[in-house]
Amino acid sequence: MAAAEKYARADEGILKAMGKPGRAYIAGLGLTASLVVIGGLLWAYQIKSGLGVAGYTHPISWAIYITNFVFWVGIAHSGTLISAVLFLFQARYRTSFNRPAEAMTVFALMVAGLFPLIHLGRVWVFYYLIPYPTQREIWVNFRSPLIWDVFAVGTYFTVSAVFFYVGMIPDLAIARRRCEGIRKKIYSALSLGWNGTQREWKHYNMLYLFLASFATPLVASVHSVVSWDFAMSLLPGWHTTIFAPYFVAGAIFSGTAMVITLVVPMRKALNLYDYITDDHFESIAKILLLTSLIVSYAYIIEFGLAWYGGNVFETELFRYRALGHYKVLFWIMIACNSVIPLTLFAKKLRRNITFLLIVSLFVNVGMWLERFVIIVSSLARDYEPYAWNALVYRPTFVEAGITLGAFGMFFMLYLVFLKTLPVLSISEIKEHL
Amino acid sequence: MRTPMFFDEKEEFLEALRRMVREGVPKERIRTITPFAVPEVDKVLPRPRSRVRFFALIGAATGTATGFAFTILTSLEWGIIVGGKPVVSLPPFIIIAFALTILFGSLSTFLGFLLLARLPSIRSIRARQEYGNRFVILVEEGP
Repeated sequence: MAAAEKYARADEGILKAMGKPGRAYIAGLGLTASLVVIGGLLWAYQIKSGLGVAGYTHPISWAIYITNFVFWVGIAHSGTLISAVLFLFQARYRTSFNRPAEAMTVFALMVAGLFPLIHLGRVWVFYYLIPYPTQREIWVNFRSPLIWDVFAVGTYFTVSAVFFYVGMIPDLAIARRRCEGIRKKIYSALSLGWNGTQREWKHYNMLYLFLASFATPLVASVHSVVSWDFAMSLLPGWHTTIFAPYFVAGAIFSGTAMVITLVVPMRKALNLYDYITDDHFESIAKILLLTSLIVSYAYIIEFGLAWYGGNVFETELFRYRALGHYKVLFWIMIACNSVIPLTLFAKKLRRNITFLLIVSLFVNVGMWLERFVIIVSSLARDYEPYAWNALVYRPTFVEAGITLGAFGMFFMLYLVFLKTLPVLSISEIKEHL
Repeated sequence: MRTPMFFDEKEEFLEALRRMVREGVPKERIRTITPFAVPEVDKVLPRPRSRVRFFALIGAATGTATGFAFTILTSLEWGIIVGGKPVVSLPPFIIIAFALTILFGSLSTFLGFLLLARLPSIRSIRARQEYGNRFVILVEEGP
């Protein structure tokens, strides 16, 4: 096939996703939008009624909302790993996943950013977190991990959004060519008048390299900072020194699973088999397997440290985690995160895309439960034995509804992305044709 | 400007470019437009390295300095001891400085790119001419 024909086919094949939506798409969009509305109404109800409608019971004052925050920040990580780290390592299969993964990063951070606000009793004073002096000229406490979070997550969102947009500029120029009317005008403006001159490419390549280099340390730093929200405290089960690498590995693990969850149906629905092959999925499956092993190792180390440390509260907490009120969730977590991914050692299963999708769904569930188990079991078994069995935390319908709303928002944004922006990096794919 | 030359194949385009240089057309007058990045063009028509990197360096250094200055100076503004920690606690301040290094560095690099690549270009946004997937060579008229 002549090169020109191949390029035209790539344009056509990838941009046809932006065509008229079908019934299934509209149904999906309607469903996810309904979840967002339900979540929004429940949040409004919580703001009106106060945090009492959430299932918080002393001493469990962090629960589902913080679980969601950590989960969604974690989901974001794989996007940066795939787009930035694999770019620096020049991994070819990256081009099949980088755009959906970058979109996923931005959307996951948008969802994650809502949860600290939802968790606030008085959300209208959220700006207390922003560093500014009060009337008595006292500034925020920069020694607090919650302020580090504001800087880390704020930076992560901004850099990821810029990276996402920059990667799309040449593709937006292609979209401009293939649209008419108002859409053409919008894509023309978004592509900034990109032509593909030597000067543009020269500066663009340098920009992309630097953005990838700046984003790479964020893969390690952001979830480390999130882990320090816990590790800076003295609560049993929270203050081990492995928390930062443990959280980073978990973030990449969960994010990789979410990439698979999103890209497998996307490939089928948009018929992108020429650009996202089984070989590419196999490479991603290897990342999933590796990070699963790291996470499992961290689980073992946590128990090992509790046993070796000899602190009675720490030992009791880890006994409670495995055998206490939340034992079912704990063992589901172990099954999903440590046992089921081991099947990916078999090449045949790694290359079975349906099986890979099922594994990724289990990992999504397992990683959400991991955050829940870490947060809730530690708080339920802290230094106040009188409270140990007094009340058992159970999520309320408000918390459950807001959580579903968050999933709805994430998938709704992703569906909107599929119809409005180029779903794969066309210019990079053309380079390798 | 001479009539642009269009090519469907990358190799044909590169060959024409090399031939043009061999025939003595001044390199600084040759412009190319490609549908994707073609590193070989920079070998045939060497240009100075992109100065975007200086924007990255200046932005990142400004971010580091801002991060440390912001945390240290605001802590000294009202020296409250919190949790028994020193008023100027460098380890936590490093985290803020690190985040601002990345933030300022990234934004400054992006702005540097826009400036040096002369984007957004209103003329190009409005232009009706599209080169599509073709490789284009344009030769500007000499003085």
